[in-house]
Amino acid sequence: MNRTNKYAPVVLERGDLLSVENPARYTGGEWGITIKQEVLDEIQRTGETKYIRYAFCFPDIYEIGMSNLAVRILYHVLNQCPDVWCERAFSPWKDMDRLMREKYIPLFSLESKTSLRDFDILGFSLQYEMCYTNVLQMLDLSGIPLRSCDRGEDDPIITAGGPVVYNIEPMTDFLDLVMIGEGEEMIVEFMAEMKKYKDSKKTGQPMTRETFLQNAAKIEGVYIPAFYDVSYQEDGTIREVKPNRPGIPAKIRKRVILDMDLAPYPTQSIVPNTKIVHDRAYLELFRGCIRGCRFCQAGFVYRPVREKSAKVLCEQGIEIEKATGYDELGMLSLSTSDYSELPGLTDRLLSAFDGHHTSLSLPSMRVDSFSLELTEKVSETRKSGLTFAPEAGTQRLRDVINKGITEEDIMTSLALAFEGGWSSVKLYFMLGLPTETLEDVIGIADLVRKIEKLYFEVGRKTGQRMRRLEMTVSTSMFIPKPFTPFQWERQNTMDEFVQKQQILRDRLRSKNIKYIWHDLDTSVWEVVIARGDRRLGPVLLEGYLAGHIFDAWDDCFSLGKWMTVLEKHGLKSDFYAIRARTPEEVFPWDHIDCGVRKDFLLRERERAYAEQTTPSCREHCEGCGAAGFGGGVCYESK
Amino acid sequence: MNQSEREKAMTLLAHQPAFIYRLRFSRSGSLSFIGHLDLMRTFERSLRRAGFPLLHSQGYNPRPMLVFALPLGVGISTTDDYVDVSLAEARDIMEVMAGLQNALPDGLRILDGWPVPETGGSIMAMVTAARYRLQAQQIFPALQRLFLRSEVTVEKRSKGQLRMLDIRPLMLALEHGETENENEAIVLVCAGSHENLRPDLLLQALTAFEDFPLQEAANCGVERSGLYAGTYPDLKCFKEMI
Repeated sequence: MNRTNKYAPVVLERGDLLSVENPARYTGGEWGITIKQEVLDEIQRTGETKYIRYAFCFPDIYEIGMSNLAVRILYHVLNQCPDVWCERAFSPWKDMDRLMREKYIPLFSLESKTSLRDFDILGFSLQYEMCYTNVLQMLDLSGIPLRSCDRGEDDPIITAGGPVVYNIEPMTDFLDLVMIGEGEEMIVEFMAEMKKYKDSKKTGQPMTRETFLQNAAKIEGVYIPAFYDVSYQEDGTIREVKPNRPGIPAKIRKRVILDMDLAPYPTQSIVPNTKIVHDRAYLELFRGCIRGCRFCQAGFVYRPVREKSAKVLCEQGIEIEKATGYDELGMLSLSTSDYSELPGLTDRLLSAFDGHHTSLSLPSMRVDSFSLELTEKVSETRKSGLTFAPEAGTQRLRDVINKGITEEDIMTSLALAFEGGWSSVKLYFMLGLPTETLEDVIGIADLVRKIEKLYFEVGRKTGQRMRRLEMTVSTSMFIPKPFTPFQWERQNTMDEFVQKQQILRDRLRSKNIKYIWHDLDTSVWEVVIARGDRRLGPVLLEGYLAGHIFDAWDDCFSLGKWMTVLEKHGLKSDFYAIRARTPEEVFPWDHIDCGVRKDFLLRERERAYAEQTTPSCREHCEGCGAAGFGGGVCYESK
Repeated sequence: MNQSEREKAMTLLAHQPAFIYRLRFSRSGSLSFIGHLDLMRTFERSLRRAGFPLLHSQGYNPRPMLVFALPLGVGISTTDDYVDVSLAEARDIMEVMAGLQNALPDGLRILDGWPVPETGGSIMAMVTAARYRLQAQQIFPALQRLFLRSEVTVEKRSKGQLRMLDIRPLMLALEHGETENENEAIVLVCAGSHENLRPDLLLQALTAFEDFPLQEAANCGVERSGLYAGTYPDLKCFKEMI
């Protein structure tokens, strides 16, 4: 397809911008963005550019996408490459989507307002399964063929990465290339291949898409879905996943960054002009988690634990605060309390920020006397709520899921917190965990009631005047995820979930307690996609064409509509959600290697059934396989 | 701390000398499409990036002391707006202007600045009128006809309620732009915390009374080009108050 107006910026009229919610989502121009003027100059002169044009795409709205750390890190890494200009694009919200279709406005990048179909690559960051149809929306609005097999030599390469790609099979119809694991190094190697591909197009012998993909497949961590064939058994399970070209690896191993101190990190980060969901600067303390809670996918796929040193974090923190002007610095990790130099780091940052009115935020903290003191120290404003995630109501079930937290821990910490003046507590639980009985569900209510009683006991004992107690109890539905010891488990049926919710609703009636339950419908669809296979591709496509986008937003999601599409394609949600798997079953994601071995996960599953806990990585190495990467916590004391 | 203690803490302003700088600024391009709160946050962060010792309000949730003369609606650009910035230490005005300019995102420019006394009164309370430059096909004759009316009652949504408002008394004067063409008009309207006519209400009146096309009104370029104190017709331009 020859277009004379290639690279011409998309212009939005004032009236159009003012007719949609928060137009700043679409206007760009933020502090800290990268504009490579030399690319624009070259295009003006010659009509083409030798630079790789990379569109970093986030399939949700601006305010969500800009809150994501991966977007910021990879934007920085790509723009550090001398031959690459990386720009950003987000899903237009429904109002803008409608307007763009009505007026034939193509989806564009925020930096140069270039139509996405004029880019060399669209790289999607996939953070949750429910965003899949928004990938299709963004491709469609860009005028790019949705299915990989329909794309021609001149179409952009469509790639994806992010936490959900450990099972990306439902999306493989639409992706040319997938990056498994951490992207900082892999993406640079990928750009080198891309450069050869782009350069060849100007020569007499342009490289084909196929050749380019074959070259890219040699990069460790790169997965080209079209290079694998999937065959199925009669019962619908997978017989085998096999490479269909010579020289293509049978398994794709995820990439990790071993030295976090040397990992590229943007201190001159973008500062949005409009309020976003997590509107603060960030430090990344470490990757991975030493705990190994058996339901938690992140706890396994991000292994091994690798910390950044307090020295480097402190330098980065000081620089970020100065360069961005943010007045809040968030400490990111899966479990902040487990950072080995936490007290030293917070002390140094607090003294560096003295008089700046800058606060630190410490999410994902285990509540104990240390963290209470720290929370009080770091935050300039009032005592906000405390958050506990016991996940299960009885000790038995907490042992099953390997949540290393006892009732005594909870009670001791809460007594301390209540004495210290805290009066707002949030408690998170999961329903439908493996081996859960109604007794365990009642256990949740009992625990909540004990905490309620504790609050008033503390008041009586200390003679303090207590404020109104605000307890929020929230239950979500257990979703068996790939690469966890529970990947073989069944999900509860709707009826089971409803019954359990009802038990809690009856038992948690109190003026001090607010009970919130997650949307059941979303959980059912999430598990179908999370454990789905390639047969879901046509389902997603048809659902998208019927207008199902923004499934991550409860008020946009409709399970009924998805079920209709699923059944039309001869598939059943029970097959994916309710069915327990045998240890012999081949999973759709078995050709992906996240470093943790399947036999370790099976062993953990057996321990779960035996109600045995597994110590943290720091206490004892259980030989999960992650040591094979050659770094991190596995080698800390060796 | 209970509620009353909290209130007390907030009102207890420890007296610290403030060095106030009044900055005249413009905004254009993508920065025109953010709301007033976003603009305040953008200035706040830019000032922090520039490293100025910002004076904060006291109490529970200390905020940097920034006072804007008149909020700018989403979609409105400006060539003549003002913000008062309070610093804890005296700085040279050129240093304040240049330092802030270097830390602002594209689309915001510092045009001028001068120190003002702490006792000078709130900049917000001073504003009485604003001038807007409107650009759309045939907008001048349409406005001319609107100005001939003795009453222009439109529906105004305020605090979620619709009410009828005669905006004619708030419409002060109409002028041609520099080029004297029909597609540009300069209007002077009442503005400020007492009586304020937003330009979108004026455009709404054009579509309601003068058959002005909706599409033209929606895409009409709106730029604030002057802020005034005083009583009409004896208005005093902000930029002449240095």
